Amino acid sequence: MTHAMVLGQRALREAWRTPEALLPTLFIPLFFLVVNVGQAGKIFPTGSTPFLEGQNYAAFQLPSSILLAASFGSAALYLVEDIEGGYFDKLRAAPVSRTAIVLGRLAAEAAKSVAITTAIVLLALPFGISIASGPIGFLLLILLTASWAVVFAGFMQLIALKTRSAAATNSGGLVFFPLLFLTPNFVPRDLLTRPMEIASTYNPVTYIMEGLRSLILEDLAWAPIGRGFAVVAVLGVLMVALNVRTIRRYD
Amino acid sequence: MARRTLAGMALAVEAEQLVKHYSGRGGAVEAVRGVDLTVEAGEVFGFLGPNGAGKSTTVRMLTTLMSITSGSARVAGIDVAADPDGARRKIGVALQEAGLDARQTGRELVILQARLFGSSRTQAAGRAQELLELVDLVEAADRRIKGYSGGMKRRLDLASALVHEPEVLFLDEPTTGLDPASRLTVWEELRRINGRGTTIFLTTQYLEEADQLCDRLAIIDDGLIVREGTPADLKTELRERRGLATEPTLDEVFLDVTGRTRERTAGEVQEVQG
Ligand SMILES: Nc1ncnc2c1ncn2[C@@H]1O[C@H](COP(=O)(O)OP(=O)(O)OP(=O)(O)O)[C@@H](O)[C@H]1O
Ligand SMILES: [Mg+2]
Repeated sequence: MTHAMVLGQRALREAWRTPEALLPTLFIPLFFLVVNVGQAGKIFPTGSTPFLEGQNYAAFQLPSSILLAASFGSAALYLVEDIEGGYFDKLRAAPVSRTAIVLGRLAAEAAKSVAITTAIVLLALPFGISIASGPIGFLLLILLTASWAVVFAGFMQLIALKTRSAAATNSGGLVFFPLLFLTPNFVPRDLLTRPMEIASTYNPVTYIMEGLRSLILEDLAWAPIGRGFAVVAVLGVLMVALNVRTIRRYD
Repeated sequence: MARRTLAGMALAVEAEQLVKHYSGRGGAVEAVRGVDLTVEAGEVFGFLGPNGAGKSTTVRMLTTLMSITSGSARVAGIDVAADPDGARRKIGVALQEAGLDARQTGRELVILQARLFGSSRTQAAGRAQELLELVDLVEAADRRIKGYSGGMKRRLDLASALVHEPEVLFLDEPTTGLDPASRLTVWEELRRINGRGTTIFLTTQYLEEADQLCDRLAIIDDGLIVREGTPADLKTELRERRGLATEPTLDEVFLDVTGRTRERTAGEVQEVQG
């Protein structure tokens, strides 16, 4: 555990010292929030759009933005640098459990996500968004988002470990397009066209998005929240297990 | 049980019929084809060979970084395949590509390494200071590694391999790319480290280095050990076999055993030029 912690601290130092990689993860999602609301906000006025639960369209869009912020997976690119530069071998040659090597970076990714998500939500509050589920809901929202960040970073690290290439890892990151856009990100699922509805039903991110959305728009509704957490829990365990296995077999 | 020599010293490194096959797109590469090695505790052992002979591959197997296709290896009496973490506690490793993290400072890197080997925060800070003094990097210690010169990086890599006072230190080309002065500094450091009882297993391209530093050598070519002995033994053997009037240099021994005569080497160079 100590090992995972010191490795996590190192990963955070690394992120902190690379602001040029950190800042886009804050500003690109905010940009999308402003643009999406600017384009579709008038179609969905607060008073006459039941699925907004009395809030404005920005509140409905907020989950897409914070999920986007949590889907950069920049940890994996640092991992590729470690592999290319030989530092990864240095870690592997230390008597450190392979799980700690994986968890170190993922813990740092979770911490980064907590900070960025908090910043985005706080920046969104002045635009008339409120978290209807209260302070507990706010914490759950941060936790659910950070857990997704861990899953996504875990997936990216897996590609990094398998391919050991920055180009391949970057390309792998493009899965965030289907993952984030084959979702009910503009309207609720029941308003999607049939093919889109089917696609989003099979997309795990849909359930995380619906969980986050319910935390913003409604009082604590345990069914969607529970589905969101169940999805990240299953995927999280799977990603950590696959990462550890890949490092064990790494040659 | 680790095998012991007659004098009762445990062997620092023992490899039996080590084999490594890489499987790649272009078919399998037999990088190491049955290597036997014994290094006694306290020795400086040199592992020489031409490019692609299998030096790094052997080092990576001995240091638990790479799976062993067949054969077995023990380091400080511990089987590297059966108990990799046990072996890792006993060995220090500085690989051919100095494994550093450019965004940290030298001090942070050494402290982290000490923490990974089980030191507490304060112990790690103390140990880092000691090691940075040893490799003469105290002044640069709090600067980012990104700005270090090649020689500084090598020395830092060496320092970070020593955090846990390893019994056996593996160095893959520790002086490649260093200027003559930095090379001498590293030699001095290695002698000092060896003087404190650490066994050193190093690979090098510099025969002068092997001659100066190593108690014993093995030469590997095309995945097989082709000569083994003290530098003096190897030279004497060549002198007697060739009936030479003067003692040959280690360069000549190397060219002789790797099947490359001076003439052929010169010819190859000409081909490239033509
Ligand atoms: N990851 C790999 N995949 C496939 N083949 C490899 C791999 N690593 C090394 N080889 C091959 O194995 C052989 C031995 O390589 P190795 O790096 O051990 O040689 P070396 O003696 O360290 O050479 P050098 O002096 O150039 O460092 C070479 O033919 C090399 O091409
Ligand atoms: Mg090599």
